[in-house]
Amino acid sequence: MTALNVTDGPEPGEGPRAERAPELCSIYADAKYQEVPRAEKQRLFDEVKGDMRWSETLYGCYECGICVAACPSARFYDFSPRVFAQVMAREDVDGFYELLNDSVWDCSQCFSCTRCPRQNNPGGIITIMREVAVNNGLTSAKDALKAYSRIIYKVMSTGTQVAPDMLQPDFFPDWGPDVVAVADNLDVWRRMVPPETLHTTELAWDVSEKTRLELYMIWKLTGNLEIIEQLDEGIFMILEEVMEELLEEHGYDIDDFESVID
Amino acid sequence: MGEVNNCRLPDDLHYHVEYNVWLRDNGDGTWDLGMTDIAQSLAGAIIHCRPKKVGKTVRAGRSIATVESGKWVGPVKAPFAAEIVARNDAAEADASILNRSPYNDGWIVRMKPLEGEDPSALLVQGEAVLEGFKEYMAEKGLEECVHCDGFECD
Repeated sequence: MTALNVTDGPEPGEGPRAERAPELCSIYADAKYQEVPRAEKQRLFDEVKGDMRWSETLYGCYECGICVAACPSARFYDFSPRVFAQVMAREDVDGFYELLNDSVWDCSQCFSCTRCPRQNNPGGIITIMREVAVNNGLTSAKDALKAYSRIIYKVMSTGTQVAPDMLQPDFFPDWGPDVVAVADNLDVWRRMVPPETLHTTELAWDVSEKTRLELYMIWKLTGNLEIIEQLDEGIFMILEEVMEELLEEHGYDIDDFESVID
Repeated sequence: MGEVNNCRLPDDLHYHVEYNVWLRDNGDGTWDLGMTDIAQSLAGAIIHCRPKKVGKTVRAGRSIATVESGKWVGPVKAPFAAEIVARNDAAEADASILNRSPYNDGWIVRMKPLEGEDPSALLVQGEAVLEGFKEYMAEKGLEECVHCDGFECD
């Protein structure tokens, strides 16, 4: 560990460590993002702890490591659910900010960590932290979501998440030659599925225009479109243009949303 | 033919680096627009291209087409305000021509600038194109362009 980031308080050696301000005791005092003002980190930290779900995510951690042992992401990345529980329990704002900008995106949200004997929910802490990262348009959220822009677009424009035609050789090299055969004959494969609503290739199942319009109105009225605008201007632009054209085709006035909902 | 890290940038075209598009001056007051080699490389295998309808007008910086690859979607932006006078139906029917022939068969729309627009002033040519895209690629983390089977740009 490098020197503690002492900006306000006794000089090193002036007194016992325990007498210093609590934030100086951060185990992540050599954390990245030291250039980010403390107040900004604290604001985001408070936003996480102010979430209505917070009181049910963390009760106290005695570092048994069961969550880490159960965590699939811990096997593949430099990632540990226990660190989230520890950093949040210590109210380690610097450590929190580093997690918020880096390994918060390494979790697969499988919640295997909820087998914690203390009923902690590190995956739940991460859910809240990700929402805070998204709501605040953090760069880490933008970067994490960049590779999934079409998935966001599908969810927001159709309500379906994955589309069969996402199975493309350059996105699924791990499938080997199989993915080429699937991608080349996708329409045939899909027609082998009995329900007609699943004969789609561009989206998971057939979605009516009414559903799409209602969904768009929900995103618009709940402020979700504004969040997307902050995160990915391109998706926002397409969504707005495609959906508003659809509204226009159906003779709806976007500002008169009550008539659209009726 | 200009080239930056295996990315082809034909000399006779005009470019808008930030929007990652090329434009061809048809000499009759219309301009063809398409995605650059760099744009098609960033997108990966393109599976859908939906150009806007003929007769629509777009403002500068707005989308003239939606392009989708496996997991990516993005707008193709117009550098200047224009009316769409033609669109490439072949690109909509088989969007992979945007990968195979980004500068020829893969043109997306033909646009007529609205009155008062001066396309040449907004676009770059020559050395500025290479410098601009070199910087753009560094920013996007694209090391070099990727060309599929049958790629052509002559």
